[in-house]
Amino acid sequence: MFRKIKELFKSITTQIVDTIKYRTVSPEEVEELVNEVLLRLVEADVAYDAANIIATRLKERLLNAKIPRSEKVEDFAIGLLRSTLLEILKRGVSEINLLSMSSERKPLKIVFMGVNGVGKTTTIAKVAYMFKKHGLKPVIVAADTFRAAAQEQLREHSKKLGVPFVGGKYGADPASVAFDGIAYAYKHGLDAVLIDTAGRMHVDVDLMNELRKIVRVSKPDLKILVLDALTGNDAIEQARVFNEYVGVDAVILTKVDADAKGGAALSVIIGIDKPILYLGTGQRYEDLVPYDPELILKLLL
Amino acid sequence: MNVLENLKKIVSDFLRGKEPYEIAVENFVKELQKTLLRADVNVKLVLELTKNIRERALKERPPPYISKQEWFIKIVYDELSSLFGGDIKPQVFPVKTPYIIMLVGVQGSGKTTTAAKIAYFYKRYGYRPCLICTDTYRPAAYEQLYQLSKQIDVPFCGDPKSSDPIDIAKKCLSYCINNNTNIIIIDTAGRHGYGEEEYLLKEMQDIAKAVNPDEVMLIIDASIGQKAYDLALRFHSATPIGSIVITKLDGTAKGGGALSAVAATKAIIKFIGTGEKIPELEVFDPRRFVGRILGLGDL
Repeated sequence: MFRKIKELFKSITTQIVDTIKYRTVSPEEVEELVNEVLLRLVEADVAYDAANIIATRLKERLLNAKIPRSEKVEDFAIGLLRSTLLEILKRGVSEINLLSMSSERKPLKIVFMGVNGVGKTTTIAKVAYMFKKHGLKPVIVAADTFRAAAQEQLREHSKKLGVPFVGGKYGADPASVAFDGIAYAYKHGLDAVLIDTAGRMHVDVDLMNELRKIVRVSKPDLKILVLDALTGNDAIEQARVFNEYVGVDAVILTKVDADAKGGAALSVIIGIDKPILYLGTGQRYEDLVPYDPELILKLLL
Repeated sequence: MNVLENLKKIVSDFLRGKEPYEIAVENFVKELQKTLLRADVNVKLVLELTKNIRERALKERPPPYISKQEWFIKIVYDELSSLFGGDIKPQVFPVKTPYIIMLVGVQGSGKTTTAAKIAYFYKRYGYRPCLICTDTYRPAAYEQLYQLSKQIDVPFCGDPKSSDPIDIAKKCLSYCINNNTNIIIIDTAGRHGYGEEEYLLKEMQDIAKAVNPDEVMLIIDASIGQKAYDLALRFHSATPIGSIVITKLDGTAKGGGALSAVAATKAIIKFIGTGEKIPELEVFDPRRFVGRILGLGDL
């Protein structure tokens, strides 16, 4: 009998201790904080809808949180935001390792795709450089037979890198160029085939069908979407449509050196839940770094 | 339905609700904020714009015989269009010849393609354009503009062996003038001007000094996000921007970043790019653009 009273008494004391030691935040306070966070995220180029998802998650956590009285609510909220963001960003880390994959597959076939001007061609040169640096032999394939000088641009890169190059005539079928590139790699026992495709708007049905054909013919091991880190809300839309049309295995984010906040990373992870392989951080061949959630977090906050 | 009609409907839907006017305004302003942020308009601009709208809508009284709805819609439209300098179609024909246009912008924003598009546009109106390539960094930049100039049959000048863009700009300028051309379009290398690229802004200044352009055109990708405002400001303080071209408006991007660039530089939007092919360039129409930003219909 006494035991029960004792327990009851104990639970009351813990309750009192809790109210003294911890407190909760009022819904109004939470609302205000979360709104501020939402705008900050949008300012960091997280697409509005993705930012909204994060903000809602933060709101739920804040409403139920017991905050130590010694801690400022703002600090507590920022800590919570950090962990929420990091949790999402970590989903972008992948098991994919291009180098080890290439020795397994021999050759590893990668198709690079994306909308116009995001940096596909330069990224391919950087990836080729990385392969070479690790003693592996890639071939660069220019399946962009549309844009003026796309062929010359890649040929110059491959010359500088000392990497074989397979191209095609302007107006030629890009799928057949890709096929030639792969045949070349098999014949010469190369480790990787890096296929460049023309930039295309995700809403252009004909060009998306052309991309589908390239993928069907070349049967790539990886389809990598190249995204510009300076992109705002459209990042989700681009990722979503490419994923629907041909499927995206991983993403490379470029132009991160342009003081971009890296919000596009969050948009991609929330939007299509795909890993991010690398970040492009400049115009030089070395300017390609592995994706690091902590780094993006630092840019974001 | 045109943009204005559409906007009217949205507003009247709001105002027709049971809530009092103040709450209806508040709700609309919130909705407008969301729409603009989704369209990549700079956050600070959005907050400022909606603050103005809210204040005017709540403080000012509509003139007699004008309904609150119409009054409110007028405020929204006024504030939006004043953001990009008004409701007038831009004047794209030069007041003098020869006229020198220098194109600047971030990597991959579409400068080279736009250079050819502009040349083709003026050629069709009977001008004699000339294209100059001063990009000495990107591989095959010279070939790209050369190939495009061949396609539209316009004189072209550049020097693939030189690595001095200022020298190329000067030499090619006199080449173009000696060849009796009257619209000279100078393409420059892509740059963002942050970190290690800060020196590229200086280079851009030096090219401008050497050729003394009549117009510096900022080429901006429709999908650019929040960075647009700062970026445009940096370009503007290095070389005052006179006009803006928004590219890749054939995608799904709303182009709010470009609007932010306008606010930062006070430049006018002259053209928009609507596809990769050379004729796909249009003179900017503010009304349709506001519609696009608001997500009302398409171009």
